[in-house]
Amino acid sequence: MQFVIEHLSKHFEKREVLRDINFTFTEGKIYGLLGRNGAGKTTLFNCLNRDIKTDGGQFFLEDNDARREVKAENIGYVLSTPTVPEFLTGREFLKFFLEINASSVQNLKTIDEYFDFMHIDPQDRDKLLKDYSHGMKNKMQMLVNIIANPEILLLDEPLTSLDVVVAEEMKQLLRSLKGGRITIFSTHIMDLALDLCDEIVLLHRGELEAVDRTNLGDQSFKDRILAALREEEDA
Amino acid sequence: MRKTLWISFSLKNTYRVNGILYSLKQIPLLKRLLPQALYRVRGLKVFANVLSGIWEVLSAFLGKFIYFITMVIGIGVLYDRVAPGAVFLHILLFLTAIGAFLNTHLFNPTRDKYYAIVLMRMDARAYTLINYGYAIIKTIVGFLPFCIGFGLQKNVPLGVCLLLPFFVAGAKLTVSAVSLWRYEKGNRAYNENQLGKWQWLVVGALLAAAYAPPAFGITVPSFVIVPVMLLFVLTGAAAIPKILNFAHYRAVQQQLLAQMLNQMDQAGNLAQQQTRKTISTDVRITSRKKGFAYLNDLFIKRHQKILWKASVRIAAVCLFLLAGLLLVFYLEPEIRTKINGLLLTSLPYFVFIMYALNRGTGFTRALFINCDHSLLTYSFYKQPQMVLQLFAIRLREIIKINLLPAAVIGGGLAVLLYASGGTDNALHYLVLIVSILCMSIFFSVHYLTIYYLLQPYNAGTEMKSGTYQIVLSATYIVCFCMMNLQMPTLLFGILCIAFCVLYCCVACVLIYRFAPKTFRLRS
Repeated sequence: MQFVIEHLSKHFEKREVLRDINFTFTEGKIYGLLGRNGAGKTTLFNCLNRDIKTDGGQFFLEDNDARREVKAENIGYVLSTPTVPEFLTGREFLKFFLEINASSVQNLKTIDEYFDFMHIDPQDRDKLLKDYSHGMKNKMQMLVNIIANPEILLLDEPLTSLDVVVAEEMKQLLRSLKGGRITIFSTHIMDLALDLCDEIVLLHRGELEAVDRTNLGDQSFKDRILAALREEEDA
Repeated sequence: MRKTLWISFSLKNTYRVNGILYSLKQIPLLKRLLPQALYRVRGLKVFANVLSGIWEVLSAFLGKFIYFITMVIGIGVLYDRVAPGAVFLHILLFLTAIGAFLNTHLFNPTRDKYYAIVLMRMDARAYTLINYGYAIIKTIVGFLPFCIGFGLQKNVPLGVCLLLPFFVAGAKLTVSAVSLWRYEKGNRAYNENQLGKWQWLVVGALLAAAYAPPAFGITVPSFVIVPVMLLFVLTGAAAIPKILNFAHYRAVQQQLLAQMLNQMDQAGNLAQQQTRKTISTDVRITSRKKGFAYLNDLFIKRHQKILWKASVRIAAVCLFLLAGLLLVFYLEPEIRTKINGLLLTSLPYFVFIMYALNRGTGFTRALFINCDHSLLTYSFYKQPQMVLQLFAIRLREIIKINLLPAAVIGGGLAVLLYASGGTDNALHYLVLIVSILCMSIFFSVHYLTIYYLLQPYNAGTEMKSGTYQIVLSATYIVCFCMMNLQMPTLLFGILCIAFCVLYCCVACVLIYRFAPKTFRLRS
């Protein structure tokens, strides 16, 4: 399976944020999306998730040359600030989610099994989500996206504000989940991207560009990325 | 000195101008017309500068004019037992005492002070003093014409009229100097926007002193007032050196501005916090329903405080009022015909009442902040059939919540009509009840529809849609204007019912066509 973006563009008033995005993502890999502040990473995600209208271009899934449209259920989107419905308890949120998606969830487990999987303590499971810590909210959001089992998982700076333990748990989790799906992970922390991702993609000047890693040590790879991102200033 | 004054002026002006341009940009139609580089366009800048200049002049005079017209003259004419001049001076004396510490300017932390002193690192003492001096002069100049005009009209001697503005300025200067002196003695800096309990009590006492005694024909005699005024002019003059030589303006301003920033941050989150607080933490709340009905059921149950409880409370108050009116009918039979007449002509009035009682806006705000704000980031929640399914459940629920008080009011009006002598046409009773119910349904549908079609919030729960606010204001204005409409109840009721039915049909069609696309987070 491949996720293909063709000629995607988006502007806000006169500013072109996404110019002419052409890229093909392949299943089974974690892509690290690097870009400078304001480069348009979140805009790209919002376009792919159809939260905002694009100006032009298309994106679709392709298996063995058969194209199909990307539907809402094909995409999971985890935001940098976790958003969970404050008035529900963790258990209620999960119950509601499982009921709504009953027809599409595979290998249904019990609610407590899901909590165990995510390392959420039993005493926290029946607390209102508004009283959850940042890390726990993040886990809930991730959990729901994992259960939905989308083919494309968009992660917008998901590990930036987590404590070291939770961040490590999440990294392990993402690695274990990458089979059979395309994971696109936006960050501006280069070491995190190098550590976790199979491919590095730069978003600069409104375009996506893969960085070739062959025959490069870590340091020279970093230098190449920095050089590419700096070009923007000189252009 | 001229330079400091000039810089502080242009600073204040720049952000005022940008504020005007920003608000112009919020109006839907203008938004398209205005260029993106709006803040650079010269013509617009000049226009906004003119507005800003007009505002500077207006604020010097208009504020004082309104103050005199309402607080001094307006209330003053109510007292017919004392000479107008005496009342005029009496009220001014006490109000000036309040203004002296409620409106010092020196201890009023504002944004422009923050920008100048903290961000731009201007000299705090020079900046404070020059702006303070300007404010005091503005006070004197602003007061002078109205003191003379209104004073002479009330037969106050010209000399006293001329003394008044200086008395006001003197009182402010005196309070400022005392506050500075207290600060030097180790007290916290005085912040006129954060008064304590005792200060409010003093304000209350002074207000009472200003307005209560004249009602009984008592005023402070002018042989006391004039010396007091003179005294404050003198103390004010004596205060000037203290104010000029005070050494710690930077520290005082830092303290005040820190408090203000704190307040501003809180204000931003306040709506969100308030709404979060409405979530009930009662652990016994559960639901046996499934799927979206489960979600909605828990939402309604955990928001009892702003939904059902509020609705029941309103219904109870209405019942109580009904009982009260029935009692009045019994005690004062003559009033019945009057009320009967009113009931047959003033149904339009109830549009506004139903508007005011509707829980719709609170419901949609809580819906967004506590529920949709987060769930809209999940793709399953945005699937068209899901959006519509939940809309239907929510609509049913909010209609139910609002119908309770509506039923009490509608039924109550019918009972009142009957008790006040009844009517020949029995249709009246039916129309009264049905039209009130329809109004209630209309508002419920209206709020939920515009919420789904215009979804005005962004992920940070800020209101981003100008159109949404315009629709809300228009709703208010229309309902308000209805109060002036005089129309036979039967006619208005039938028109009202027809309109509500039509509106609901149109709204539902629009929702089914557009909501799956429009019900998104704004970016």
